[in-house]
Formats: sequence, structure tokens, C-alpha cells
Amino acid sequence: MSRQMKLASVILAATLVLGACGKDDNKEAAVSASPTSEAQPSGAASGEQSAIQQGTAKLQEETTKLQQAIEKQDADEVKRLGKSINDAWLAYENSVRQTFPLEYTEVEKYEMPIFSASAYDKVDFEALKVTAGKLQEALTKLLNAKETSGSTSELLTKAVANYKLYVEEQANNLVSQTKVFVDAVKAGDVEKAKLEYSKARVFFENIEPIAESFGDLDPRIDARLADVEDENTWTGFHRIEKALWLDKSLAGMEQYADQLVKDTEELQQKVKTIELEPKAMVAGAMELLNEAAISKITGEEEIYSHTDLVDFAANVDGSKSVYLAIIPALNEKNPDLANQLDKQFQTLEETLRGHHKEGQYVSYDQLTTEQIRTLSDQISQLSNLMSQTASIL
Amino acid sequence: MDSNKKKDGISRLDFLKMSASVGVGLAIGASGMAAIEKVVAPASKSANTTGNDSSDDRISMYGEHQAGIITPQQTYMYLASFRLMVNDRSSLIKVLRDWTRFSDLSTAGGTMRTGDNPLLPPSDTGETLDLPASKLTVTFGFGPSFFSVDGNDRFGIANKIPLYLKDIPRMPSDKIDPLLSGGDVCIQVCAEDQQVAFHALRNFIRLSMGSATLNWMQEGFISGGSGGQTPRNLFGFKDGTANNLHQTTDGYNDVVWAGDNEPDWMRGGTYMAYRKVRMFLEVWDRSSLSDQEDTFGRHKESGAAYGKKGEFDTPDPSQMPIASHVRLAKESKQLIHRRGYSYTAGVDPRTGNVDAGLLFISYQRNPEEQLLPMLKMMQSKDALNEYVSHVASGMFACPGGLREGQYIGQNILES
Repeated sequence: MSRQMKLASVILAATLVLGACGKDDNKEAAVSASPTSEAQPSGAASGEQSAIQQGTAKLQEETTKLQQAIEKQDADEVKRLGKSINDAWLAYENSVRQTFPLEYTEVEKYEMPIFSASAYDKVDFEALKVTAGKLQEALTKLLNAKETSGSTSELLTKAVANYKLYVEEQANNLVSQTKVFVDAVKAGDVEKAKLEYSKARVFFENIEPIAESFGDLDPRIDARLADVEDENTWTGFHRIEKALWLDKSLAGMEQYADQLVKDTEELQQKVKTIELEPKAMVAGAMELLNEAAISKITGEEEIYSHTDLVDFAANVDGSKSVYLAIIPALNEKNPDLANQLDKQFQTLEETLRGHHKEGQYVSYDQLTTEQIRTLSDQISQLSNLMSQTASIL
Repeated sequence: MDSNKKKDGISRLDFLKMSASVGVGLAIGASGMAAIEKVVAPASKSANTTGNDSSDDRISMYGEHQAGIITPQQTYMYLASFRLMVNDRSSLIKVLRDWTRFSDLSTAGGTMRTGDNPLLPPSDTGETLDLPASKLTVTFGFGPSFFSVDGNDRFGIANKIPLYLKDIPRMPSDKIDPLLSGGDVCIQVCAEDQQVAFHALRNFIRLSMGSATLNWMQEGFISGGSGGQTPRNLFGFKDGTANNLHQTTDGYNDVVWAGDNEPDWMRGGTYMAYRKVRMFLEVWDRSSLSDQEDTFGRHKESGAAYGKKGEFDTPDPSQMPIASHVRLAKESKQLIHRRGYSYTAGVDPRTGNVDAGLLFISYQRNPEEQLLPMLKMMQSKDALNEYVSHVASGMFACPGGLREGQYIGQNILES
């Protein structure tokens, strides 16, 4: 997508409440008007902290049960526990977010996939086992957490460092999963290649704005036919997507497959050297949502495979990872915005779960206009809230 | 003009500041009216020393009735319908407050702030920064689903629904598209400048994002209505001549303003009926003048009824063709207050014909008595049916006017 389009989208998607500008206008007032974050260290805090400890202990028990159920491959029990873990987490997550934002982020990262799995009709025990183990670790950290404090700029530096780890992890996964995809392509295994295609794309869509910062690397990996001037120079995922779903032949795809691996490896290397700034990170979260709100919601991203919902969800996840990283800073400057973002991510994630069938997202062309509109309304509102996060910079 | 405003100490920037400080109160949830109270505007009150200044451009949104109903028609209109996504009373009140505050600001020629923090999106979209108020009016109406949806009384106001608020029932030869019809809230925005009108609507949409979603939006234009003339529709005929019969205080009471038997909040209010009527311009333009005049029962140029000389001479139905539009209207013996606009909306790719017609809007105190029988008779018998098709529909109850500090719908939600 062109830069101009993107700019236009930012302008269109951006929406403000009258009130919000007033706050920013008067930063001092806004900060002092956040009693929740400032009151933490004193009086009420000890009660709050013991409530957090109790909640976390209970959550650990449930997670242990979950790990046992995963060992036994007991799908019903896994689903039941997934829901009860989520209920237990929702019951006290707000106070965790305000008191231990860093630990909160870790728990949230692993708790959500477990809850999602409980809503899906098919359980991936292997993946869940890893996630449940990480959730246990995160809960242990939370149990032993000490209250963090720091200036906003320290908090932001930390946020960027955490987010950078996430970006590197996604880039690594992108390379390894792309190799799996490419192997299937080169083996001429159309069915397997189709399956692996969207799995690889998730990792790209999670960090798309980062890729876009490296010149022509993004178009080489992710250009759509409509984006290129000359079809003969068209490479990347979507070139192979067309072969798989439209041409139904992988003939001649070898060169694109090899190039794709090289390009994702180049991305992986470049990501390691990137110097991220808080501003770029927050802007990236907006770009991700705007991407989802413009090309994914209309089915223009995956015109042959119709796996747009996979990309949509990956954009949302990628933007959520920024949100999770900046929670400490949000707590300081705009705790109400953190509450609203939290709620809106939950709303959208719930809607997305409803479109997950048989282990994957349903095809875009199976969505009704009404369902698409609901997703669109929800992502617009999320984007709207996300556009306010720059107030912490 | 801007410099004049500055002399009066009411530059646009002052508005901006005002809106911002009021915004703080709202954002942190200050309850009650104090938050809205003084957004408005010295601007609307202050005397203009320079005479022909922007005071002529401003129509106050306050008074016994909402503006935009019996206000002389401005040239441009947007009509938009929203579906509410909020499910509790306090969230609804927040949306209605924000809308009211922005109405107050924009009808007085103000805008929200545009650039305090370069990292954040500007509060206002900005396209009216150098433009006057342009007689902007904003008129709110509530559809049946505002009060309850499928028996779900989500805001606890189901018992406040006014007597005659129902969707217009199916009519003969209807081709109604439900996606372009009805809605929880309807906002009619009119102005002498299309950019000013759109700016208002666009910011209403932004202000309610996450709380209300846009169902449909129509834009219209009408010209030639100034100086008491009757404007012409796209068929070239005068449209709304009969408004002349009730344009007095008593007349409006008889025709437009809701009766004492209605809920209190409808005092000074009315019902807005909306029909989008597609007109087959190409077919019409190939019809002879006498066919055209027979269809209406009036002469095209003068607007006079058949057998009469002047536009406003009392028509004699017996002299008009039996299925003519005006004859049927007169036979219903009912008056409504018409405030329609023409529309164009591109080309039908299959036929190459222009998609154009009339956004019929009428205000009346009792649609069941004044409008529905007329509509039914016309849609079954009217000679005009050969050239038109009704494609969208809506009925909304418009509350009475506001005092400064009140928000639209307050008398429904807090009484």
C-alpha cells in the first residue's frame, strides 16, 4: 500500500473526543488527575497487593490443572480450564495492570491464547503445552513482583526494549515458518503449501510496519499484484498465493520461493540492527490497525486465498504487543486510556474468536456484510483509542 | 470577515479554547450540566459592530423548537442515520451530550482545536477553519428503535415513545431498501455551504465512534427558495407550494408541532418523515410538456393549478386530471410541512441513467392522519408513479427545542 494511502487512512481513522484534547492541552492537570496510579504506593496498596497475590496463586493452581489436562489430551477439560483461567484473570487483571505493568504484559501474552484455544473447536495440544508452561513462569514472576517505578522516559525506554524483543522473535519465526512453506512449494505439495502459507504470513503481519521501514524489502516480500507496476517484477508471498489458489500450479515458483527465504532472512538481520524510538513504535501500532482497517477488512490483501482474517488478527496482535509494552507509561500518564484499550482489545478478540472454525479463521468470502461491518466498527474504535496513545510521548 | 470577528473578541481561536476547557470537564466524567454549560458562545450573543457580518450567517440552535424544521430552506443538506451501539443510559447520554456540544459550537461558527500536540490527531478535521457558520442548522430525530429494539428496553425509555412513532408501513409499489432506511437516530444538517454542512456531519460521526455507527447518509441540494419563492424539483416543477397555506404561528401549530396528548418531551417537537424517491429523469425528459403537466395537474412554468392563473391560487381538483399528483394531494385534505431536497448519486452502470431524485422530507404533528393516507393513495394511484420509485424510508420523532445547557434527548432520558 502506498504511503499516501496510509496517510489518508490515518486521517480518516483518527477520531477524537472533544474531551481528550482538553486533557492534552493541560498535561499537568491530566497527570494529577490520575489518582489511581499515584495512590498505589501508599495506604490502599497493601490490600491491593495481597489481592493480587491471592488471585495469582489461584491462577497458578488452575494453570497446573490445565497442564495436567494437556498431558492427558483431555480436550473438554482443557476448554473448561481455559474459560475458568480467563474468568480468574479478568477478575483482577486491572489492578495487576496498574501495579505491575511489566509482569501484567507477560501474563496477558500467554493467557489470551489459552482462552482463545478454549473457544476453538479444535485443540492444538503441542502449542498449548508450550504456552501453558510460559504462563506458569509469568505467574511466578508476578507472584514475586516488586512494584516498579521510574520516569516516563525510563518506562518508555524499557517499553521499546521489550517491544524489540517481540519484533526479533517474530522475525525469527517468520524465517523458520517461511522455510517450511517454501519447502512445500518446492516439493510441489499444493495442499501443504496452502496450509503453511497463512501460518508464515502471521509473523510478517505482526510486524509489518517494521518491514516497511526497510525500503523495498516490504514490497519484495508482500506486494500484491495491484501494487506492482510491472507484473514481471512481482515477487513474494502473494506471487505464490496466486499460483496456489488461482493458477493451481506451482510451476516456475522455485525462484520466488528461494527469493522469499532470502528476503525474510534479510529482514531478520535488519531487525537486529534497528534502533527503535518510542514514537516509531507507537506509530507502528497505528499503522498495523490502519492496515487491518483498510486492506484486510475489504478482502483486498488475500484476493486469491481469502485468508484475510488471519492477517487481520495478526495486525491486531502486533498492535496489541505495542500496547502491552507501553502499559507502564500509560499507567503514569493516561490510565483511563489503558482501561479503554484493554476493553476494546477484548471486544475485538472475542469477535475474532467467533470466526475461528476447525483450527483456523474462516475464509473472508464466508463472512456476511454484517459480520464485516462489526469487525470494521470495532477496529475503527480500537484505532481511534490507539491514536491517543501518542499522548504518553 | 475573520478580522471583524477578532475585533469583537470572538475569533475562532477563542472558540477553540472554550471547547477544550469544556472538554476537560466532560472527559473526566464531570456529571450534570456544568460541563456543557458555557461552550456556546459569546459569539452568538455578541453584537456585531460591523453590520453585515457573520451574525447573519448564524441560526441559533436554541428556542422552543429545533432549528432546521421551519427554518427557510438552506441550499445544502445532509441526512444521516445512526445505529446506537451503546447499551446503557449513561453511555447514551455521553453521545448525545457530545453531539449537542458540537452542534452548539459549529452552528455558532466555531470548531474544535486542531493542533495542540503534533503527535495526536487534531480534534477538528479543519475544513471550516476559514468559513463562516453559513446558516448551519442541526436537527435531531429519534426512530422507533431508539426507544426499544424487539421489546428490549435497553435505555429504560420504552414508555416514552410518542404516539405516532412507527416505521412507515409498506406502501403499494414500494421498492424500499432496508439498508438505506430507518435508524435509531437521524441527524439532518443544513447549510448554505456544502463544506460547512459536511464538516458538521463528519465530526458527528467521529465524535460518536465506538458508540454509534453510521447506517446511511444522503446529500441533497435545493435552489431558488429564497425570497419566499417555491423551489423546483428535478422534474422542473415547483415543489412545496402548499407550505404557503400554513406558514403562520397558528398554521404551524395546526400542521407541524406535536399536540398536548404527546409525552412532555415532544412539546414543541414534531415528526420527520423521510422518503427517498428516485426519479427517472431520462424518461421524464422524453415526455411531452402536456404529459408532464397532466402528471402534476399544474402548469410547469407558472406553477398555477389547472384552471388557475397564479401559483398560489386555490386549486380546484375537479379541473385536474383524475390521477394527477396535486389533485390526489388536495383530495386527502391534509397539510404537511415539506422540506425536501434533490439528490444526484452517480450513474446506474447497467443503463447509463443518472441516479437522481428527491429526498422527500416532511414535518407534521400526526403522520398517521396527515401523511400515511396521502402516501398510500399516491403510491397506488398517482400518475407520477410512472416516473418515480420509492427506495428508502424513515420516520423520526424530533424533540422540542433546547435551552442552553440542555442536551438533545435530555427530557426523554432524565424525566
